[in-house]
Amino acid sequence: MTQLRLPVDEPAGRSGLRSTDLLAAVVALLVVLHFAAPGLFDAPVVLAWSTVFVAVCLQALPFLVLGVALSAAISTLVPASFFTRALPRRPALAVPVAGVAGVVLPGCECASVPVAGSLVRRGVPPAAALAFLLAAPAINPVVLVATAVAFPGQPEMVAARFAASLGVALVMGWLWTLVGRTEWFRLARPAPSAPGAGRAAVFRDAMQHDLVHAGGFLVVGGAAAATLGVLVPRSWLEQVAAQPVLAVLVLAALAVVLAICSEADAFVAASLTSFSLTARLVFLVVGPAVDVKLIALQAGTFGRGFALRFAPATLVVAVGVAVLVGEVLL
Amino acid sequence: MTRPDRTTQHLLLLLLGVAVLLVAGTDRYLDYVQAGFRPLLLGAGVVVTGLGLTGLLRDRAGRAGGHEHPGPAVGWLLAAPVAVVLVVAPPALGAWSAGRQAAAPLEVPAAPSSVGIGPDDAGADHRTMTLFVYHVWSQAPEPSALEGRRVRLVGFVSARAAGGWYVTRFDINCCAADATAIRVAVPGGGEEFAPDEWVEVIGTSTPPLVDPAVGYPEPAIDAESVRAVPAPAEPYE
Repeated sequence: MTQLRLPVDEPAGRSGLRSTDLLAAVVALLVVLHFAAPGLFDAPVVLAWSTVFVAVCLQALPFLVLGVALSAAISTLVPASFFTRALPRRPALAVPVAGVAGVVLPGCECASVPVAGSLVRRGVPPAAALAFLLAAPAINPVVLVATAVAFPGQPEMVAARFAASLGVALVMGWLWTLVGRTEWFRLARPAPSAPGAGRAAVFRDAMQHDLVHAGGFLVVGGAAAATLGVLVPRSWLEQVAAQPVLAVLVLAALAVVLAICSEADAFVAASLTSFSLTARLVFLVVGPAVDVKLIALQAGTFGRGFALRFAPATLVVAVGVAVLVGEVLL
Repeated sequence: MTRPDRTTQHLLLLLLGVAVLLVAGTDRYLDYVQAGFRPLLLGAGVVVTGLGLTGLLRDRAGRAGGHEHPGPAVGWLLAAPVAVVLVVAPPALGAWSAGRQAAAPLEVPAAPSSVGIGPDDAGADHRTMTLFVYHVWSQAPEPSALEGRRVRLVGFVSARAAGGWYVTRFDINCCAADATAIRVAVPGGGEEFAPDEWVEVIGTSTPPLVDPAVGYPEPAIDAESVRAVPAPAEPYE
């Protein structure tokens, strides 16, 4: 099905500890803690962290479920020949087609990662799948309408966001056709299914596999976002807003660490009033392309070696393209 | 690290799905996400619970694959949000988080239209406003539509360096990760109200205060009456 290197299976239960026993122990511990120590976790910082952590996980979960359902459908229901017919043969031409196709996935970044993963498994050129991955969360109608609402009377902000995000997706896609290597991928294994299992069972197993995998990484990202959001007080932002270069870099960094859903980030950007429009555009372009939650999801879906190369490169390209578009349009 | 086997994965999904349904089935979800999210959360909860249940049922019926494929170790982390929801049960963001957000003043959209702030509440001699709307009107050009009107604001108490306290509310657009604190100064606020306590403030508008502690004008209210009220089901605006 795919020529990409797949991780080798480790033998199960090497340590002799059965995982169901471990789960039972964890649940028992939770129940004991819940009743025995209700006041153990009521320091303000713990509560604030927990609220943001739960909030990030909860708001991302529906989109992740949508994404893994689509991804399971692509893996099990859509024949691979569909993509070879729908996309231009040459990767350099497939990139813009896939990037613009991102318009149709009305979700945030959590949905697009598993979908892009299954596209690669289905034989779509990685460059095109990556262009889709970057474009979908930033240029779909839901996100653009949210941006228009957050910046009333400034339609140029919507246009700039669309242009810059699509630009980043295309540049990264083409960059991949030039220097990308499939050895960097370590794709999550396709779900194992019993031979002769029905189509519904294969679909179910594919969905469970992706959800357990991507869900775990979503939790990593949610914890990182909550930790950084609680540790980094927003008050220090004020001091850098007046310096144009520093302002751009700081908002790019903020977009990475806060990991705000792309459907909500426009409202946060609108509230950062002391920053220039260009700096805020950088925030809007970087967020859906690179953030801690997304890096964790990408590491889970495509492998760590990929994420370590892709995320920094995307960050640089996103800042560059956003500043350029901001200078022209804003 | 023992990797979660098939049964453990089913159980992890079942736990996660039930936790989501518990949070979304009551008003607790309002502490974390915007009200409009409820159908999405319920849908996701049903799908995740269903995945776990069908997995368990199918495996019981012996229809699983003969060879065991353990899942990824990272899958264990699905238990983390369940643990936090059950054990910590974090409340909505409060005074501590508001105090760490001393950022710029809110951007006021356009100047409000000339319709005014609207009539008093039915049967009362004041107008209930959200802190955000009050914020907007208090920065409108003179003569202010707030002049001569009594206003009712509801929020929690958070500390103010320059005396009194703020009546505070978080504004969220998606979830608590994007919360922005909205504060209206109550310079005459008494000591009897502790941070995080929910209060109803009825009073008249005063011009925005510029106090040395924050350095920019902030809306304020001249409180006539303040009383403690129960926390609302929907803590964010």
